[in-house]
Amino acid sequence: MQITCEDRERIFRDGSVEEWAALEKHAGSCAECAYEVRAWKSLSTAAEELRDYRESPRFWPRIEAALTEQAKQGELRTSWVERLAFWRNLPTGWQTALAGALVLLMTATAGYFYSRPGPIKDDPNNPLLKDRALAEVERTQHDYMKAIDKLASEANPQLETASSPLTANYREKLLVLDSAIDELRVQAGQNPSNAHLRYQLLAMYQEKQATLQEVLEIKQ
Amino acid sequence: MGSVGVLLPWEHRISSVAREGKSRVEPSERGSQANPAGVNPEDAALAAACRAGDLRAYERLYQLQGARMRNLARNLLGTRSDAEDAVQETFLKVQRSIANFRGESSFVTWMFRILVNTCHDARRGRMRRKETVAEEREEGAMPPEPRAPGAHPTLKLALERAIAQLTCHQRDVFLLYEVEGFHHAEIAGMLEISETASKNTLFQAKKSLRQMLEAPRSSQAGGA
Repeated sequence: MQITCEDRERIFRDGSVEEWAALEKHAGSCAECAYEVRAWKSLSTAAEELRDYRESPRFWPRIEAALTEQAKQGELRTSWVERLAFWRNLPTGWQTALAGALVLLMTATAGYFYSRPGPIKDDPNNPLLKDRALAEVERTQHDYMKAIDKLASEANPQLETASSPLTANYREKLLVLDSAIDELRVQAGQNPSNAHLRYQLLAMYQEKQATLQEVLEIKQ
Repeated sequence: MGSVGVLLPWEHRISSVAREGKSRVEPSERGSQANPAGVNPEDAALAAACRAGDLRAYERLYQLQGARMRNLARNLLGTRSDAEDAVQETFLKVQRSIANFRGESSFVTWMFRILVNTCHDARRGRMRRKETVAEEREEGAMPPEPRAPGAHPTLKLALERAIAQLTCHQRDVFLLYEVEGFHHAEIAGMLEISETASKNTLFQAKKSLRQMLEAPRSSQAGGA
C-alpha cells in the first residue's frame, strides 16, 4: 500500500490497520510524518494517566443500601410504567381491542356525569335560581302566603273595628306592606329566577307577619 | 528528539515502551472486534437478573463495570465524591427503568449512556450554581484528588485542564475511547450519535488537545 504525507490526517481520523501499518512504514523515511505519528500516539499514551481503577471497598455497600431502600419504598412496584408493561407483550389485536374498550368506557362515564343533574347549591350570591330551586321557592312562598293570609284574617276584625292611633298606624303600615308585596310579586313574575327579588319579597312577608302578630297581641 | 516526537511536558516521564502493549494507540482496536464490554456474555443474563430485582446481579454489574464507571464519572465531574454520587444515581436509575430496557443496545452501553447523562445533569446543576470545576480549582475550594499509583501529577493535571477546555462531546468521546477503552460503535450507542461522528469528534478532540499541550516546534528544536 502506497501512503503519502497527504494521507496522514485521513488515517488519523479513520484509518484501517493496513493503512496505519503503511503510514508507520512511510514515517520511517519521512521526519514530518514520524513526528506527527509519535505526537498522535503520545496522546493515547498520556490518556492512561486518567485511568484510576483503584478499589473503593465502602462504595458498593453504599450503592447496595440505596438500591435496597429504593426497592423497599416500592417505587418499582408502584411505577405506572412497570404496571403497564404487560401491554407491550399483548398481540396488536388485543391491544387495539383493549384500547377501544377503554375509550368506550371513558366516553360512557363522561356521558353519565355530563347528563346527571348536579346538586343545587344554596349560593346566596348567585342571583339566578335554577328550575328546580325556583319551583321549590314558589311552592314555599305559596304556603307562606296562605299562612299569612290566615293570620291577616284573624287580625282584620281588630284592625277594622279599633280606632286607636296605634291601630291606625298598623293599618297604614299593612297597606304599605301590601302595596310593596304586590309590586314585588309583579316584578318576580316577570323575572322569576331573580333570587334578590325573592329575598325582598320574603322580607316583606316577614314584616307583614310580625306586624299582624303585634296587632293580635294588642287584641289579647 | 527522543522516543516521543512532541514536546509534551511529560514525555521524558512516560514509559511509552512499557505501556505500548496496553495503551489504546491506533490502530490496534479499530473495528468491532475485541470489545471488552459489548461482547460480555453475561450482558443479557445480567440484564434479565437486574430486571427480576436480583441485587446480586447489580453487585456483579458493579464488579464488572463499577471501577470504569467511577473513573469516567470522576474525569467528567472532577471530584471523587461527585463521581460516586453519579454512579450511585446511575445504579438507582437502572433499577427504576430496567423494565424499559429492550436490549436494542448492550446492557453495559445502555448503563453508560445513563451514567454520561447523569454526569451531564450534575455538571449542568453545578453550572447553575456557578460552581464549575474551574472556579473551584481557582478558588482552591476543591481538595486535591489522590492520584493513582504511578500517575504523573503534572501530566494528569495538564491533561485534565486541557480536557476541561474541550467541547462536551469531544470530552465524552475522548474519555470513553482513549481512557475507558470503548469502541466507536459503543460510544455511538452511548452518546446517540453515528460511528462516523464519534470518529470525527475524537479526531477533533485530539487535534485540540495537541494544540493545547504541545509546545511550539521552534522551542522544541531549541530545547532538544
